[in-house]
Amino acid sequence: MRSTGRLATAGGYVTRWAVDTAGVLLAMSLGTFALVLLARGDPAAVLAATRAGRPATPEQIEAVRVELGLGDPAPVRYLRWLAHACTGDFGLSLRTNTPVGPEVADRLGVTLALVAGSTAVALVVGVSVGVTGAVLQRGVLRGTLRTAALLATSVPAFWLSYLMVLILALRLRLVPTSGMAGLSTWVMPMAVLGLPAAGVLSRVVAVTLREALDRPYVRAAQARGSGPLSIVLRDGLPNAAGPILSVAGFGIGSLLVGAVVVEQIFGWPGLGAYFVHAAGARDVPALQAATLVMGGGFILANRCADVLQGLIDPRSRRGWDTRPRRAPSGGFTARLRRGAT
Amino acid sequence: MTGGPRDPAGRVWVRAVLVAMPLILFAIVGVLAPVLAPADPTANDLAAGLLPPSPEHVLGTDQLGRDQLSRLLYGAQISLAVTSAVLAVSLTAGAAIGAVAGYLGGWADRVVSRVIDVVVSLPGMLVALAVIGVRGPGVENLVLALSLWSWAPYARIARARVAGMRGSPHLDALRLLGAGRGRVIGRHLLPPALAPCLVYASTDVGTIVLGVATLSFLGLGVAPPHAEWGQMLIEGRPFLASAWWLAYPPGIAITAVVFASNLLGERLAAGEERPSVLRMVRPGRARSGQTPEPARAAVTAEPPAPIPPGSAHGSPEHQTVLLVRDLSVSYPDRGERRRVVAGMSYEVRPGQILALVGETGSGKTTAALAPFGLLDPDARVTGSAVLGTGPGARQLVGPAPGERRQINGRRVGVVFQDSAAVLNPLRTIGAHVDEAVRNAGRGGRRAATRRVSEELLRLAGLPDPAAVARASPHQLSGGMRQRAQIAMALAGEPELLVADEPTSALDVTVQAQLLAVLARLRDELAMSMVIVSHDLAVVARLADSVAVMYAGRIVESGPLAAVINNCDHPYTRGLLDAVPRPGTAPGTRFRTMPGQAGTGPDDAEGCGFAPRCPLATAACVHEPPALETLVRAAHRSACLHHPGRPAAAGGRGADSC
Repeated sequence: MRSTGRLATAGGYVTRWAVDTAGVLLAMSLGTFALVLLARGDPAAVLAATRAGRPATPEQIEAVRVELGLGDPAPVRYLRWLAHACTGDFGLSLRTNTPVGPEVADRLGVTLALVAGSTAVALVVGVSVGVTGAVLQRGVLRGTLRTAALLATSVPAFWLSYLMVLILALRLRLVPTSGMAGLSTWVMPMAVLGLPAAGVLSRVVAVTLREALDRPYVRAAQARGSGPLSIVLRDGLPNAAGPILSVAGFGIGSLLVGAVVVEQIFGWPGLGAYFVHAAGARDVPALQAATLVMGGGFILANRCADVLQGLIDPRSRRGWDTRPRRAPSGGFTARLRRGAT
Repeated sequence: MTGGPRDPAGRVWVRAVLVAMPLILFAIVGVLAPVLAPADPTANDLAAGLLPPSPEHVLGTDQLGRDQLSRLLYGAQISLAVTSAVLAVSLTAGAAIGAVAGYLGGWADRVVSRVIDVVVSLPGMLVALAVIGVRGPGVENLVLALSLWSWAPYARIARARVAGMRGSPHLDALRLLGAGRGRVIGRHLLPPALAPCLVYASTDVGTIVLGVATLSFLGLGVAPPHAEWGQMLIEGRPFLASAWWLAYPPGIAITAVVFASNLLGERLAAGEERPSVLRMVRPGRARSGQTPEPARAAVTAEPPAPIPPGSAHGSPEHQTVLLVRDLSVSYPDRGERRRVVAGMSYEVRPGQILALVGETGSGKTTAALAPFGLLDPDARVTGSAVLGTGPGARQLVGPAPGERRQINGRRVGVVFQDSAAVLNPLRTIGAHVDEAVRNAGRGGRRAATRRVSEELLRLAGLPDPAAVARASPHQLSGGMRQRAQIAMALAGEPELLVADEPTSALDVTVQAQLLAVLARLRDELAMSMVIVSHDLAVVARLADSVAVMYAGRIVESGPLAAVINNCDHPYTRGLLDAVPRPGTAPGTRFRTMPGQAGTGPDDAEGCGFAPRCPLATAACVHEPPALETLVRAAHRSACLHHPGRPAAAGGRGADSC
């Protein structure tokens, strides 16, 4: 009975979460579609010109307009666009007259690989620096780590890339300056993307872990004779996990956005570079596709962190416990949100 | 953060200005760029291209021969202009939307709040990129693209602020006077809502400057020939390897502004942070006229105090499980150290229970936990505390952390007061007890460890140990959690059990059951204990000897019967008088003590209890009384008057208790 109760409440929690997330994604899709309304110029004219290879005649433009259904009222167009988008059909690129969907799918793999690698860098560096900062009570090293972390979050990604290229590639000749071939080309993009996220993460780990280590249950663990490693791993980090997870989720989401700059600089054929090209060419269907996929990924990463945070804590599985849940860690995320691009 | 007396308010202010210095500089340079710049930032001179820094061009020239310093200064101008525009738009729009929503309440408020939530959860840079992607580059589009998402936090702040003021009588009065909605919002609600928005804006500068630079770097922001920091970097990219002066200055400028803004945000946020739990637990501020602490004694260098005569090793009745001498505990307080426990001496003999009693704040918990390194890391413990006698004796004050782990959990078990807080909420009871068993070196394979844990839980009086082991702390009652703590404390089969208020916050029947468990442990396992309690009923039930504490010092100590029946110190008498006794007629009022508890041992020059003492004389205020042995051996009291002594001048008999 107890276990079904737990499942039922966890299930209810997940259902609420899923409905909420779907709502936010739907709102984002509406905003993404609305880009068309903000656009300057006539997409039909651009596509007709691309097809014709020269400025198009009014007849050609009209034909494209009918083909794209641009004459329909906006709500109809939105629903049609959304239905197609759900099947991976994002229409034709205004720039190349080729379908956007397959291109986005191809490039998504590159971006996800970059994000996965940078996430690993961010987690390893961020958590280890953060734990060090939390365990040290005071001292020069702790202050240095704090400042370095804040500095890492403040350096613009494109300038950090320059510094790395200048030092690692041109001066020391350790890695190639750009491209995506072989492990050595992964070093700089992953570092440029991962280190700022590590800075954000380390500060949250340091603060929340310190707070967790000040709790009475840590003193009780010391009274039982538990060692520092056991205390950090069993009592400290799990209890600090809420804010850490939500910042990690936010961090992974912002890595996706940061990939825009990094792929552009290091010449990686990912979704971010595609986004920048599409933005430069005012290619609305391509922009919509890239925005929907990257924005959706950003939101999902955040929301997954939220749901994990809720599932970790047995007290938040309601049903037998009427005490309020731990205060949501939105304050933290909100505070860090300013610091990130 | 650092020690030493200081004026906190002034120093914080100075620091905030220092932190904001790059931002202030950024604003000044941005405004004065046309005056400060030595040259026209757009004047090409191909003959003077890519010159390194020289007196003529302090930061060198770029590939088109333009003066880098001038371009850097004008870059601040354009960055400042865009940032100000974005802040103006998003602050105005956000504050207005938030104030209206907060004032109207109801469904309008719910809709707006939901929209704010969604916008805040969107990736800002992505929105900006997409908007510029469909609108094209340029300053106006840049401002639009950045404002579209940066208004939401301001709306959220303003909404919260206004919603908080909505029900105030001040507004009702305005409405009665006939003020319209627009006037109420615009004149009375918006101004107070703007203040926190402006503070937030100072921390938002970095995000926007970074956004402008990033977009310009991608060729989607400020277009050439305008000098913008991000755009300067992308233009200089082909010449990076040869012309370092193109790579560093713009990057440093962006980083400095963003760093300052982030640091300012962190400082402002830190001001709102709630104090840590321990800071609240720690004793209050020192009063003026505080006696400075005697010269600092390093904990590790402190020699164990000589063992007093009369407690020689060997004979069983003189063996001690815990021998504490001259134990003092101090905490840092505004750059000085303030003692909370001073000169404590007590001992626990095998199979005996010592009770430390006193009011809240008397230092009894601190005194009981100090020997085992269980205080805040800031606490400094001096004196001597020896566990055991003979070859197994260990000095507990100032050992290495590893040595501590050989004692805590193995030779000493601790039961804390607040069982809800001392159990890790994320782990099951079984995981806690298993850990204690493994730490004590009695663990084996998982199942074997668990069998030991269940045995311990049963020993602590829990009838269904397997179910309890699977439960989370929040699923148990206070009494069950307390028993689980006892099970953990017993894991190492300790010589000494320290129990801090083991039964407070429990209802009376559960209290009685727990006391029975503790009494059984003493009777069946001959376990020695230190019990901290303010409840004399608990003490009378269990203790063999009692130490009464007041203001961080022991004021009276001795065998239970002597202290209860022949109490000497007026404070002990006060405590005893406050206990309801069977046999008193219903309706009889208890005698209570006047005055406040909770002072430190160094707050008063003389006797700490003198301000509340009915017997206090002028001598009490000047001279701190020492613990003196009374007629009966081992019964000591620290009072000049010794009212309990038959020969005392006060004339009160020994049977007055």
